[in-house]
Amino acid sequence: MEALRSAFDFSDFPRTDLCVAGTVAVFLLIFPLLPHSSFAMATMIQFLMFSVYGMGWNTIGGYGGQVDLGKAQYVGIGAYTSAVMMIRWDVPFWVSLPVGMALAVAWSFIIGYPLFRLTGHYFAIATIATSLILKDLFESWSFVGAARGLKIPIKGEMPNFLYLQFRQDAYYYYVILGFFFVGLFYLNWFRKSRIGYQLRCIKDNEEMARSLGIDSHWAKIKAYAVATAFVAAVGSFHACYNFNIEPEDTMSLDLSVLIALMAMLGGAGSLWGPIIGAAVLVPMKNYLGAFFGAKAGLVGLDLIIYASIIMVIAAFEPRGIWGLITRLRQGRGS
Amino acid sequence: MLHRKHAAWMSRALEQSVMEGLYVTVTKAVVSGLMMGLVFGLVALGLTIIFGVMDIVNFAHGEFLMIGMYCGLLTAVGLKVDPLFGLPISAVVGFLLGLVCYYGLVRYLLRGPIVAQLFGTFGLMLFLRNLALMIMGADPRTVHQGILVGKSFVLGPGIVIEVTKLATAVLSLAAFVATWWLMNRTKVGRALTATALDGQAARYMGIPTDRMNAFAWGLGGATVGVAGALLVNFWPVDPNVGLLFTMIAFTTVALGGFGSVPGAALAGLIVGLMINIAPIWDALNAVMGLSFLRGGELHQFKYSFVYLAFFLIMVLRPRGLFGWKH
Repeated sequence: MEALRSAFDFSDFPRTDLCVAGTVAVFLLIFPLLPHSSFAMATMIQFLMFSVYGMGWNTIGGYGGQVDLGKAQYVGIGAYTSAVMMIRWDVPFWVSLPVGMALAVAWSFIIGYPLFRLTGHYFAIATIATSLILKDLFESWSFVGAARGLKIPIKGEMPNFLYLQFRQDAYYYYVILGFFFVGLFYLNWFRKSRIGYQLRCIKDNEEMARSLGIDSHWAKIKAYAVATAFVAAVGSFHACYNFNIEPEDTMSLDLSVLIALMAMLGGAGSLWGPIIGAAVLVPMKNYLGAFFGAKAGLVGLDLIIYASIIMVIAAFEPRGIWGLITRLRQGRGS
Repeated sequence: MLHRKHAAWMSRALEQSVMEGLYVTVTKAVVSGLMMGLVFGLVALGLTIIFGVMDIVNFAHGEFLMIGMYCGLLTAVGLKVDPLFGLPISAVVGFLLGLVCYYGLVRYLLRGPIVAQLFGTFGLMLFLRNLALMIMGADPRTVHQGILVGKSFVLGPGIVIEVTKLATAVLSLAAFVATWWLMNRTKVGRALTATALDGQAARYMGIPTDRMNAFAWGLGGATVGVAGALLVNFWPVDPNVGLLFTMIAFTTVALGGFGSVPGAALAGLIVGLMINIAPIWDALNAVMGLSFLRGGELHQFKYSFVYLAFFLIMVLRPRGLFGWKH
């Protein structure tokens, strides 16, 4: 009960923030009713997916300060669990979702234990290595369709809530929007919880945290598992939304980095950061890609612009857009 | 009687030929692994210098290599000369590229937290890769002519050594010796080592550490540029070639120890052998008559061994084999 009240308690934010957040929430709720193109709808769904990925990454990477670049392996585990269970045993999405999350979390405990003996750069590269190993395994494992991936067959009638198969994207939109709000409220609880404070303490100074009696190794593993659960849940959704998964698009390094990048660009370690990051990067990437991809001879220009923005942000404002806003505010206040 | 004798002779001959096949396969795998290993070592050398001097992981390292490869290719194709003449050009281009990256980006990244450094160099990687994609196109390209390309000599029955690979190995070794000499026997090399050991103290001694950092990036870029120009003789180049080499270089550096030049050379050899585990395993299977993981199943995982080795080394012995920096 106490935890629930804490999850819905946003009173420590300034009132302007809450007004903006409320407006955005109302906009998200009524978006499918407004006139929109199907491209805009797909972009919005991707934005919601990436903000939930980013929220997950934010627990370990933002609050905990451990740069994890291997999140895609858990996207893959979630997506493949849902797809395999649906194809082979006809299990509904809402059953395979918790199974996928449990499998991903179990795997995260197995590799998290040795992984968190490392810190900083070493940790980041080691997460990449584990992710690539898993991808290589899936690419040659015939049970999950090897490199060709899996295709989910379409069931009879179309608005099928059990198997998450819809003809209109608006249904998918509301499902992922539900995930989004659950994630947001969970994180609002998380940042004020015991483990949230422990993680921030570890980020500031790990030795001091340990001297205060915090089991830093275990705290990091727990936060890593939380992040994994978020990512695996959206991975399951991804499988149902796309009907078609392959190792290359669910487990690649690009996806891992994109997840971390969204959170960092928006502002790692803040509640709104990952959402802002996804809101900026996803539409930019999609629309730039659509704009330049159509023109011959300009292949890759969208990613060049995108990479330039990453470099500029990393060099001049490492705390991301949220850091920029905070700085502006402090400048005005004093 | 005669028939039985004949059968025994046949089976012995068969056994002998299988043993010979094993010998040939293993020797071939080991030789090619060692030759590739020297190039891997040279690729990793730049990374280990940069990491040793300023504790920054360069994700764009494989892209530096790709640029070196394109330099070698373009000198070979554009100037119609042998790709080996591309070596000095690649070295110069790599050196300049390192300097530009340091002064344009890395200097600002050093002020920020680790996250910013990781993403900054990752952005650099995306930038260079897509620049190459835009300019050169996505098709893999190879060098077709040259005094070395396509020639080989035979070292015993069935063991063929391609001259390109041998020359690459020898030149890599030469580059290693040169770098070692530069790092240990010259004034600028000693200043570099001092900066790596303790930047603050080096600054007090009057060593311009900022310029030393830039020099480390230049040196790293030059060595990896040379490696690229050597590699393009037998490895097709396309804009996405970098990531694999970045990961191999990370593994090599982790194995050899962050910041160690001889460590990089030796670790490169080990990694080269590791990539050739699969053919050796197949040969062993053929001799013992096993069918476990046979028929090239292991070939799909040849780079997984590298990643796994990296993971295990990092967890079990983070210093690497010869590292002094942790």
